[in-house]
Amino acid sequence: MKSEELKNQEYKYGFTTDIDNIRAPRGLKEETIHFISKIKKEPKWMLEWRLKAFKRLKVLKEPNWQKPKYPKINYQDLYYYSAPKSMKDKPKSLEEVDPKLIETYNKLGIPLNEQKRLSGVAVDAVFDSVSVATTFKGELDKKGIIFCPISEAIQKYPELVKKYLGSVIPISDHYFATLNSAVFTDGSFVYIPPNTKCPMELSTYFRINASETGQFERTLIIADKGSYVSYLEGCTAPMRDENQLHAANVELVALDDAEIKYSTVQNWYPGDKNGVGGIYNFVTKRGACRGNNSKISWTQVETGSAITWKYPSCILQGDNSVGEFYSIAITNNHQKADTGTKMIHLGKNTKSKIISKGISAGKADNTYRGLVDIGSKALNSRNYTQCDSLLMGNKCGAHTVPYIRNKNSSSTVEHEATTSKINEDQLFYCNQRGLNQEEAVSLIVNGFCKEVLQQLPMEFAVEAQKLVSISLEGSVG
Amino acid sequence: MEQLFNFKLEKISNFSNKEMLERKKNLNFFLEKGFPNKKDENWKFTDLNSIISKNFNNITNNLDFKFEKKIDYIQEFEHNSIVTVNGSLKSSDMQFEDKGKIKIDNLVSLEEFSLHSNNNLYHLNKALTLGGFDLEVKENYKCKKPIILYNYFTSKLDNKIINNSNKIKLNQNSELILIEYNICENSKFLKNTFENINIEKNSILKNISIQNNKCNGYFYKNISGVQGYNSSYQNFLLTSGLKFNKVDVNISLEKENSNCFILSGLNLNSGEHQEIKTKINHLAPNCKSYQKIKNVLENDSIGVYQGKIYVKDIAQKTDAYQLSKALILNDLAEFNAKPELEIYADDVKCSHGSTSGSIDLDAIHYLMTRGIELHKAKKLLINGFLNEIFENIPEKKIKNFLEKCMEYQIDRL
Repeated sequence: MKSEELKNQEYKYGFTTDIDNIRAPRGLKEETIHFISKIKKEPKWMLEWRLKAFKRLKVLKEPNWQKPKYPKINYQDLYYYSAPKSMKDKPKSLEEVDPKLIETYNKLGIPLNEQKRLSGVAVDAVFDSVSVATTFKGELDKKGIIFCPISEAIQKYPELVKKYLGSVIPISDHYFATLNSAVFTDGSFVYIPPNTKCPMELSTYFRINASETGQFERTLIIADKGSYVSYLEGCTAPMRDENQLHAANVELVALDDAEIKYSTVQNWYPGDKNGVGGIYNFVTKRGACRGNNSKISWTQVETGSAITWKYPSCILQGDNSVGEFYSIAITNNHQKADTGTKMIHLGKNTKSKIISKGISAGKADNTYRGLVDIGSKALNSRNYTQCDSLLMGNKCGAHTVPYIRNKNSSSTVEHEATTSKINEDQLFYCNQRGLNQEEAVSLIVNGFCKEVLQQLPMEFAVEAQKLVSISLEGSVG
Repeated sequence: MEQLFNFKLEKISNFSNKEMLERKKNLNFFLEKGFPNKKDENWKFTDLNSIISKNFNNITNNLDFKFEKKIDYIQEFEHNSIVTVNGSLKSSDMQFEDKGKIKIDNLVSLEEFSLHSNNNLYHLNKALTLGGFDLEVKENYKCKKPIILYNYFTSKLDNKIINNSNKIKLNQNSELILIEYNICENSKFLKNTFENINIEKNSILKNISIQNNKCNGYFYKNISGVQGYNSSYQNFLLTSGLKFNKVDVNISLEKENSNCFILSGLNLNSGEHQEIKTKINHLAPNCKSYQKIKNVLENDSIGVYQGKIYVKDIAQKTDAYQLSKALILNDLAEFNAKPELEIYADDVKCSHGSTSGSIDLDAIHYLMTRGIELHKAKKLLINGFLNEIFENIPEKKIKNFLEKCMEYQIDRL
């Protein structure tokens, strides 16, 4: 792509879709929660669960220790539920889905249509607050894999939901997690039965369409004994002047010998060049390696959002369990990111690996904040952490805030971090071989991120690579 | 329940009304929040309030400075000496130096009262400070011999708190090696020190802190320093043996080409807790900072390192490095680290590393196959691990002395 083209390239996914919406009454009150619960036809226990969270929310205070500060959010001014009107009578098949919705997703390039089965991705698309359609259902059903909107799971599989919902992120965890517990609207539910390898990548697509809405989705993934699943998540939002809140909760549970791979490409609207608008991405993601020999791997490519504030974490409870975290966070213009991970080692012989790559350009601020905590009973545990930051220009910032705790003598913790700029020699070398400045930077940055990009499933890796280049447009020269 | 503390301002006399008023204000600030606890990010790994509550009751400010004994001076190398007793300046002897080149005084007036500190111990210090010294080295004077500052703590300090403020100033083109040497009798007390350091153009300050024996004292020391063009500050923290110690170093490299070294080698034994917290502010281009923190942790000891490198946007060509390493020898011991980088300039070389783990079993095996018994092999490795930080001390006699001190400490393990 030529540099001229790059410069003019605005946020590609910034279109809005005109669809009639049904909204919950404005504001955060008990009435809103009753409304959401009623419209979702939820059982009584679910409503009670929500109300418990809401009660707790009243005592909690919004945290303020994070690096990127933001103007106070008026929670009473938001809509907590927004659904396209045509969804009221839920479509049974794709033909019944509002063509406009399908069009939106086509613009985004999601293989919603089953004809695109070759791409081998089963998609659960969340539009504002409800799941639109889930593809590939039949095939998954055969294997006993449950992949459906969480609102459906609450009705169909209440025992599973009751058992695991809130078991990794308790309802009283922290302000945004509790807010989500009270008002979450939809999200995905995945259950992989014992000794099953999910034959395809499962995928969710999130999109915030309506204005003044927050999106509060909740994802719960359970990998039973000896199972494997790879899950992808992508996000976009239209351009709007006001800041929109996205406070999702994602819970993963891996039992004995199970493995979950969770990949995210986050491309929410980052705000314009002057930092007006954009999404506040305050997400709680946490996985529990409950069983022995279980494994959870997080991969994230964070290129969007005005503020990204999240720490996908692993609680390594089972002996020999493994946690991994691979992250690329790119911030440009006025974007801010405060992201990282927590690896909490509780079981014996647990291992964790953290690779974080931060890139700051323009006037952006990028923080890696992470915790490695090795408990006194987590004998023979091991952690390796590497955080590298790349700075472009002297108006941006790159920060590293690792917390390291080691409480026994047989465990080893290693941490390394570097901060640097793009090497002039490398740039010169690329220029010499006929690449222009933008192309050279893009090449070098992609090399810098390679360790993380390799972790992504194929379809995502290509998209992510493109995103990396686009996100940095106009930041050099 | 008995009170945790009972501070009386009236007992400290001889201030002007204005000063009394300021002291009262500071005391009220302190009383509002009390001792810091782990909710305060700076005290996250060291909950001072709970540590103090567990070990003290009815703490009062110390007013006892009586001292009759003779101090055993260090014989290994020639030096000048300053003696403080319970934090108060007793005597000084600059026998090796030219007259009038080094000024040492009791710190009497407290010029700067600031009420904008979020460190509550600062308010406590400003309210109760008594004693402390003001040390100045004149322009173009390089001290011929090091100065040893003997800090003596008597046995009558149980449940007392000592609040000191010190000032150290090195005028242009001067040099000083200052060794702080603590000697403690058996008493359990608190010491809260705030030290201001000003190192002017082309000057060098080497500051070594060392402990001669086990001490039941609970020490907090806050060092805030400002460095001029081409100046150098080197701080060696070797205070093994203290029950509790937290050193809070805040250095601003304000002018070009200045450098700052913070090096620490500690071996902690049962019940000991030491924290080193640093903040190095790179405010000008071409400055260098280097931090190396090494801990050996035995029994149920706790070692903490919280380091921060801040690089301002104009501070290009900064070279900053942080390294913290811990050898954990017991499952009850704990090591916590938070090596932090905050960087706003792009043409910099900033990195940090942190490791913690047990002794390398292969190395032990290697030594044992060569006929060295396990106990000795371990000591040898610990010694090697800690000795590395002495590399930066060129004065041979001092280096030998420090190595001997270290060996003695390791033998006690």
